[in-house]
Parts: sequence; structure tokens; C-alpha cells
Amino acid sequence: MSALLEVRGVSKAFAGIRAVDDASLVVEVGSITALIGPNGAGKSTLFNCISGFVRADAGRIELSGQRIDRRPPHRIVRAGLGRTFQTARALTRMTVLDNVRLAAPAHPGERLWGVVARRAASRRRELEVTEQAHELLRLVRLDGHANALSGTLSGGQRKLLDLARILMAAPRLILLDEPVAGVAPALREELLAHVLGLRADRGLSFLIVEHDLGFVMQASDRVVVMNEGRVLVEGTPDEVRNDERVIDAYLGTAG
Amino acid sequence: MSVLTSGEFWAFVGVVAGIYTLFTLGLQVQFGLAGLLNFGQVGFMAIGAYTMAILVAKEGWSMWVATPVAIAAAALAGVLVGLPTLRLRGDYFAIVTIAFSEIVRWVATNENGLTGGAQGTINLAGQGTAAQYNGQWERFQRWVGAQLHVGDKDVVMLILVWTAALLLVWLTARLARTPWGRVLRAIREDEDATASLGKHVLAYRLQALALGAALAGLAGCVYAWQFSFFSPDDYQPLITFFGWMILILGGVGRVWAVPVGALVFGFLFAATRFFDFAPFSYLDSADRAYVRLMLIGLVIILLVVFRPQGLLGRRDEMVLE
Repeated sequence: MSALLEVRGVSKAFAGIRAVDDASLVVEVGSITALIGPNGAGKSTLFNCISGFVRADAGRIELSGQRIDRRPPHRIVRAGLGRTFQTARALTRMTVLDNVRLAAPAHPGERLWGVVARRAASRRRELEVTEQAHELLRLVRLDGHANALSGTLSGGQRKLLDLARILMAAPRLILLDEPVAGVAPALREELLAHVLGLRADRGLSFLIVEHDLGFVMQASDRVVVMNEGRVLVEGTPDEVRNDERVIDAYLGTAG
Repeated sequence: MSVLTSGEFWAFVGVVAGIYTLFTLGLQVQFGLAGLLNFGQVGFMAIGAYTMAILVAKEGWSMWVATPVAIAAAALAGVLVGLPTLRLRGDYFAIVTIAFSEIVRWVATNENGLTGGAQGTINLAGQGTAAQYNGQWERFQRWVGAQLHVGDKDVVMLILVWTAALLLVWLTARLARTPWGRVLRAIREDEDATASLGKHVLAYRLQALALGAALAGLAGCVYAWQFSFFSPDDYQPLITFFGWMILILGGVGRVWAVPVGALVFGFLFAATRFFDFAPFSYLDSADRAYVRLMLIGLVIILLVVFRPQGLLGRRDEMVLE
């Protein structure tokens, strides 16, 4: 196996507090890697560093050998790394279909010049994108809501919309930020099936921050445990489950 | 006979409403589509008007060349204001834009050599010569009048302004429905989510700001032709807020609401000045000028309370989170 995402020695401090402290991890091609740890361990900050929303103070982040740690978020997505947010970020006053179509890459109609001078090409692309968006909405079973404003969707449906939307951007690696937090059990199973299915059918890789350890154990083949900004342990779910240091970190030896 | 029944008066009101349509259309692109709080739109209008007037009156350019250059100058000013400031949070950006428009006004007031200073464009050619920039425009207006067999200069102006305004409203409405417009609306909703889907948020905001500024620049040129003279005092921040009133009246995000809002505003604003019946007759006309502002304020308060989406907005979009 080869590395798809390689994070080496990343640090990030906010007002002197080291949120992420010399963290390194690897996501192999085709793997589902979970990133766990107690609250305040630095998982979200590391996620933000990887996806470009926060600039790391030090370290190196590579996607398929290409350095991405100095790039703005939109260029990281175009390089093939997509992310979702902890709370689903539906664009509420746009339709469900438009939410998904928005994410299409390489759309000439999204450029002013293309709108004016490449009308045939942008219309063709728009048809293609619309068809693909309908397919993705069928996949997450939101096709019945395609023309509704996404603000009318429930919290769980918005999580599914987020997933369909990031798939439209055609990433190779998807970072999911707490995909099943506050989600009903049935939807939790559905999301688990989607993650496993997308890897099997499309060869996608995942890096998942999640507090639901049951979900982590079922979904992932590698687990990275963070504590106080550092990577504490890395291993298979079974190895991690039985590691003394992990149990200490979660239960809090310091009291 | 009251001035309210004179055709000339209403043609004038219509022309002003048309100019406000162009001006507010820019705000609609910036705020209605892209969510940018631009409180300095009048600064771009001033840049358009002054660029055109200076190039024609001082440099002897043809109006037909000077006008596109003036519109481009306003758009360029949009890019220059936007580049360092668009990364700021919405409310900070709003403060910067109002400062920008005041800087433009004060520079125009004090740079006598460039703008004619506080005395306005009459002074463009220096002391002693009355400068004039709209000879070519008036010839064009007469020619259009002759073609259409319309004798009244004000009616010709009305036709010209509204042809341009409606054409641009139509084009903007089409643009709003393209994938490009979709990205702008997404940025208005949630810029981080939009960036996380591979869109270059700053580039789109710059485009929206520049396009809106270009429309203000055009409004400035038309304003300059209509009044054949202007001075820095014509570009008070209040003009920007009239634009915002029109935007709120008509409906934020609805491109076709702009001309409707501008007409309602124009009639309210101009007509209330000439209300000569009780209780307005208790006041002299100078005081009535302030009463009309209060009236418009009241209309907007009532609108925000009872119809927050504006005259043409969509209610269902207002209640979503």
C-alpha cells in the first residue's frame, strides 16, 4: 500500500496554546482511517490544517506526494481532498439539487468569461452535472427532495446532502468531521454503509474524526489516537482498543 | 395647478428612478447575490462620473470612448478596494467601503486641479472658463428624439435611461441564473462551505464587487448627463443608503425587484415634496423635505416588520436557517 495523505510534524498554536503539537499520520490509498481522541485533543484543528482552513505553523502535508499545506482550501479540494463539517453546512436558501451541482469541478459556466463566450460548452457541462447530481441524490435517497430548498431538510438529511455534495467534487480522499454525531441509529447504519460502499465501489479513501467508538471500530481499518495535540497511538482498531495509553487518555489519568 | 399633475415633473421622477435602478442593480449583484455589504456604492458612482467628465472636458476625449473607460475605472476601483479588504468579516468590510466613498468625495472636493474642487465640474477647465462635458450627449439625445419623433428632451432621456436600465436588469437576471450566479449565492449563504467545494471565494467576490461598481459608474455617467453639472456634494453617503432602501423595498436577491423598488422610492421621494394638502400644508417646503425622509423611513420599518422579503421577495427564503 502507498500513502495517499501524509502529515508530518504538523504543529499549530492559538495564542500560545499548542492545539496540534508535532502530529504525524498517514492515510493509505483505499483505507478508512479514524482519528479519535478526547475533546480538545486537536483533531478538529488538524482537520482544518489538512483542508487548508487553518495554516499550520510547522510541518508538511502531502497528498499523493504533492505538497498541499500552503494551499488555500479551494485548491486542496481541486487536488482531490474533500471535507465535510461537524455540523452539516447546507446552503439553506438554495435547492438540494443546486447544493450538489455547485460542487461540480471544471464548470465553464462558473466563469464570467465562460458564461459570455462559451455558452454551448457551459450548457453541455450543466446538463452533465445535473444528471450526475441526480444520481448522487438517488444514492443518498434524497432524490425526492431535489427541488426543495435545502433549509427544509432535517439534520440527518443534511448530513446525507453534505456527503452527496462532496462526492460531486470528485475527491479521492474525504475527511468526515463527526459524520454520525447526533444522528439517529437508522441513519448511522446508512452512513456506515455509504462509507464502506464508496470505498468498495469507487475506491475512495476516508479520514474520519468520530467520537462514536462503535462506528469507528466498524468502519475503519486504521485508527490514530490523539491526545493533547500529539499523536498517541496508531494501529488497527483491535490494537488501539486494548492499548493502556488510550484507555488512560480517555479516562484521564491526570484526573 | 399642482406640480404633481405636470408631465415634465413625472418624467424627471422617472429619469431619477432609472438612474437609481442602475445604481441599486449594482448593490443587488453585490449584496443580493454575493452577500457583500457595500456601503460605499456612491464612491464608485462618483468615480464613473468624474472620470467621464474629466476625460471629456479636460482631455477632449469623445464621450463614446470616455464612458466605457469611466465604467472600467469604477470597476477597477472595486477591485482595488476589494483586494485588501474582502477577506475581512462582513461588518468590517462595510465600514471600509463607507470610508472609501468618503475618501473619494473629499479628494474630489480638495483636488481642485483634477476635479474642479468644491465648485464642481463647471470649474474643470480652470477659472474663468465654464467647462462642459455633455455637448455630445445632448446631440445624441436630439438625434434619438428626431428618430423617435419625440420632441421633449426629458421624455427622450426617460426612454434612454429606462432602455439601458431594463436591458441591464434583464442581463443581470440571466447572469444570476447561470452556474456563476449559483456560486455567488452559495458564497452569500456560507463562504467556508463554498470554499470547501473548490470555489475561489475571493475571486468571485471581487467579480461581484467590480460588476456592481461598474453599474454604479454607469449610473454616475447618466446622472452627470442628466444634470449637466455636478459637484462632490452630489455624492454624499446618503445616496448609497437610498440605494439600500430601494433594495430592501424591492426585495433582496430578486433582480427584477430593483426597478420596482426604484420606482416606488422615486415616486414616494419626489412626490412627498410637493404634497400641498393637510397635514403637509402645515409645514413649509423645506421642512417637508425632511418629512418625506421620515415617511420613507416609516414605510421601510413597516415593510421590515410585515413584509421582510420586500415587495417582490420570497417569504419562504426568509424563514430558513
